[in-house]
Amino acid sequence: MTTRVSRRFMLRGLGGVSLGLPLLEIMLDRKAFAQNAPTPPKRYLVFFDGQSTGADNDQRHNDLVPNTVGRNYDLKSALAPLGALKSEVSVVSGLKIPWAAENGGTIPSGGRRDGFHVSTVSPLLAGVRSSASTTAAMGPTSDQVVAGFLAGSTPFPSLAYRVQADWYLSVSAPYGREFISYKRDTSNRITPIPAQVSPRQAFNALFGNFTPPGVDAATRARIDFEKRSRKSILDIVRGDTERLVPKLGAADQIRLQRHLDGFRDLERRVDAIAPPETSSCIKPMDPGADPPTGSPQGQNGAGENTYAQNLGYSNEEQRANLFVDLIHMAMVCDLTRVATLQMTMFQSHLNMFSITGQATDCHELGHGGVPGGTMAMSQGIAWHVKHFARLVQKFRDTREGNGTMLDNSALLFLLEGGHGYDPEGVKNNSSHSTENMACLIAGRAGGLSPGQHVVAAGRHPANVVISAMKAVGAPDETLGEVNGAIPQLFSTT
Amino acid sequence: MLRRLVLCLLPALGCTGIVGDSSTLSTEDAEAVGVSGLRRLTRVELDATLRDLIGEPNPLARTLLPPDPTDPFDNDYRQQLASTTLVDSLEALAQQAAERTVADMSRKARVLPCMPTGANDATCYRLFVRTFGRQALRRPITNEEVERFMPLHALGVEANSFDTAVTLALRAFLQHPEFVYRVELGVPSGQGVVQLTGFHRATRLSYLIVGSTPPDWLLDDAASGALSTRDGVRTAAQKLLTDPRARPQVERFHALWLGYHRLPHAAQLTAAMQAESDALVDRVVFDPNADYLTLFTATETFIDPTLAQHYGLTFTGTQPTWTSYGAAPRKGLLSHGSVLSQGVKFADSSPTQRGIFIRNRLLCQEVPPPPPGVNVDEQPTSSSPCKKDRYQTHASAGGCKGCHSTIDPIGFGLERFDRQGRYRTTDDNLPQCTIEGAGTVDGTTFNGPTGLADALIASGRFEECITTQVFRYAAGRREEVRDHAFIARMTKEFIANDRKFLDLLVTLVSDDGFAFRRDEEAL
Repeated sequence: MTTRVSRRFMLRGLGGVSLGLPLLEIMLDRKAFAQNAPTPPKRYLVFFDGQSTGADNDQRHNDLVPNTVGRNYDLKSALAPLGALKSEVSVVSGLKIPWAAENGGTIPSGGRRDGFHVSTVSPLLAGVRSSASTTAAMGPTSDQVVAGFLAGSTPFPSLAYRVQADWYLSVSAPYGREFISYKRDTSNRITPIPAQVSPRQAFNALFGNFTPPGVDAATRARIDFEKRSRKSILDIVRGDTERLVPKLGAADQIRLQRHLDGFRDLERRVDAIAPPETSSCIKPMDPGADPPTGSPQGQNGAGENTYAQNLGYSNEEQRANLFVDLIHMAMVCDLTRVATLQMTMFQSHLNMFSITGQATDCHELGHGGVPGGTMAMSQGIAWHVKHFARLVQKFRDTREGNGTMLDNSALLFLLEGGHGYDPEGVKNNSSHSTENMACLIAGRAGGLSPGQHVVAAGRHPANVVISAMKAVGAPDETLGEVNGAIPQLFSTT
Repeated sequence: MLRRLVLCLLPALGCTGIVGDSSTLSTEDAEAVGVSGLRRLTRVELDATLRDLIGEPNPLARTLLPPDPTDPFDNDYRQQLASTTLVDSLEALAQQAAERTVADMSRKARVLPCMPTGANDATCYRLFVRTFGRQALRRPITNEEVERFMPLHALGVEANSFDTAVTLALRAFLQHPEFVYRVELGVPSGQGVVQLTGFHRATRLSYLIVGSTPPDWLLDDAASGALSTRDGVRTAAQKLLTDPRARPQVERFHALWLGYHRLPHAAQLTAAMQAESDALVDRVVFDPNADYLTLFTATETFIDPTLAQHYGLTFTGTQPTWTSYGAAPRKGLLSHGSVLSQGVKFADSSPTQRGIFIRNRLLCQEVPPPPPGVNVDEQPTSSSPCKKDRYQTHASAGGCKGCHSTIDPIGFGLERFDRQGRYRTTDDNLPQCTIEGAGTVDGTTFNGPTGLADALIASGRFEECITTQVFRYAAGRREEVRDHAFIARMTKEFIANDRKFLDLLVTLVSDDGFAFRRDEEAL
């Protein structure tokens, strides 16, 4: 059973007439589960917005960070979609990723090169200083570190999904802007994990082998036959791949080994027994065909910009809803405990017209693509926050043990940049800045105490990431070159 | 902040001489053999392969697989990255393709070499695995390999369905590493060099010339040894070039090279522009008498009424037709909307981006990224609203000048053509800003795409860049020092043969550089 009503709200008895029955159910179920509830697993999620917080030449660094500090903070426009869920979400502000110029030109520990775009991938997601020249993370990202100790025998050690379906520029490639998850592969190299962008394929991979309850024997036999068939096929192709690897040159061995790793992941999932459907673990509706991928951005025959024609858009609204639903249910059913959801690429050129009505793309919002500066930009952030809020709400509305799934989760919302000084352009009030960064963290795992605005002046956003990692059981408070959680996030005062 | 513009010109290496068909190479020739690694079929190649192998009409790979990195070609194997997402997608693709094949009587008949007597018919199953396996993996299948497919037959017996066994075998083949990748184990011939077998050569020929899996006759040539001689390869290449699939493949090479495989316009305009360029490429490349450089000097173009109106050209009639440019300041491919749509920034043509495009794609020179301290997301500004003044102000600043003085003047020579290839004499919405349209490339002044084409042709470097781009597409990677001799041989032949593009392809595939490879030591 799920309900869309805040538990706290109901328990305070302010819910009005319609709440009588759910309240009764919750109280009864809680009693029933309290006796011998199994310990629910912890869950970890990184949700990513490829934007900075403020626009160029606007003195307002953001319209996100609350004015008030502590609990019951005020909601600015970028966080407005949180609504009453703000009690489940903490805001951490005042964060900063250091850069080369302030360290004598040398990229500092946990810092970034001065050139902005994609320079935050490595420090933000892996806690390791960026490379001077490449866009890649220089160490494993937090999701992969967490999967290392949290995944256990779940069929999917981690999920990597992306909502933005395409790069949307016709004359260039994303060059790493499309990755937020990196692992150390079996060749001991730091390798990006390309995200799944098809909700349909994600659905098939997660729930394709679910056996609906109460099916007849013939259906059950057919499902069993299909499972054995897949295993036999994978035996052949995996075996042939293994035979092939040692015959190849050194570089090709690494290439094919990565493919082989993919086969082993797949076999592990085919072997896994689908969880029994329960009152909360339910096979979702088949999402049907994916929305078509949009063409690159540009202009129409009359030379007008085509934002209003929806080029550069692949119904990311629907894709975001589907991926949030899939991640939620995959975690409910314990198919996985770790996920990344990249809403938008770094320096995202997603067309905002269908989303916010703004005739510009997500990246240009930071550079004056439409009037309104930081306030206009905040509408784009608010769209990301809306989907994050929907995820938090689904977790909050899923009962688990004595409480809800949120009690066992740490959910991060990270942004590409902040706003302030740009060492590359030597400018203030720039969107190409890692001053004044902020992030969100939801969940109560490991004693996290959400619902606060914490000012962590001068601390690194990876300190918030480390707090989330600690909450789900990380053995030490370290990510790459950054150390320490933020104690206030665990404080109930 | 000062940074030098590094122009990576290919050194004009002398010809190393062409070796014979022997499997032994001189030390010098062996040294000139380039590396080649595992190449995964691109999504477009995979779709073509499924079409030709099992009659699949739908673009399953383009629907299911992650996009190929495209910069500018989509087949650079060094940019490919295997992942769980890829393996999952391939499994889904294999299942859908197999089930759709067996569900269709005529498609099933195409892959089955025999009529099974029943689910138990192991003889027919083995024959099917052997014949289909040869087509799918592009090499003969051993008895031992056939036996490895027998557990799938057993599942068919259990289900009392021969079709089931066939479906499962198809699923295995269509996600098999040797189907998905082009694996070239070859025969070690010393000095770190591997000689390719006839089957490897058949695969290279086929994917280069028709963009798909080798047809049966080509596999037969491989088996008979016909591809072990240079004449045999040449004959096969010429036969493939008469295949109807060769034209779209040649068109696609050009569209990727010059960036118009996708265009940022409404669908109708995009299609009209692509059709215009495809038609000219076809006309020049497949005319046995045409000099390839006609592609850049043609005085006629293939347009429809919409495109004629877009360009402001006189046009009568309603159907697409070859039309003379007349007095219009246009000729050749560089005048097409498809190419003039390249290099757009800040919702306008960008002289800088166009200059970089010309240097990268048509002169094969790498332009280094902007130095630190430059926010490339900010528009150049000056006290004048006119674009030329704005760009000159920012390009004359300190360390920017070095690079921009070699890039922007090329773009300024195209400024009389807007971001959709329409002619203009003033900046968009700024009638007070007159565009002169004068440009400079490496000391030669020009005005417009006609002058640029002449300047490129006169530069003496154009042919080498054309062969370099063909090399990159054929090899699936960028060239290295070791490849320069091969590219120099191709360039020399290209010029000596009056610049026939199809002859260039035949020269390439019948060169020893195409018959040998060496392993890469590291990623």
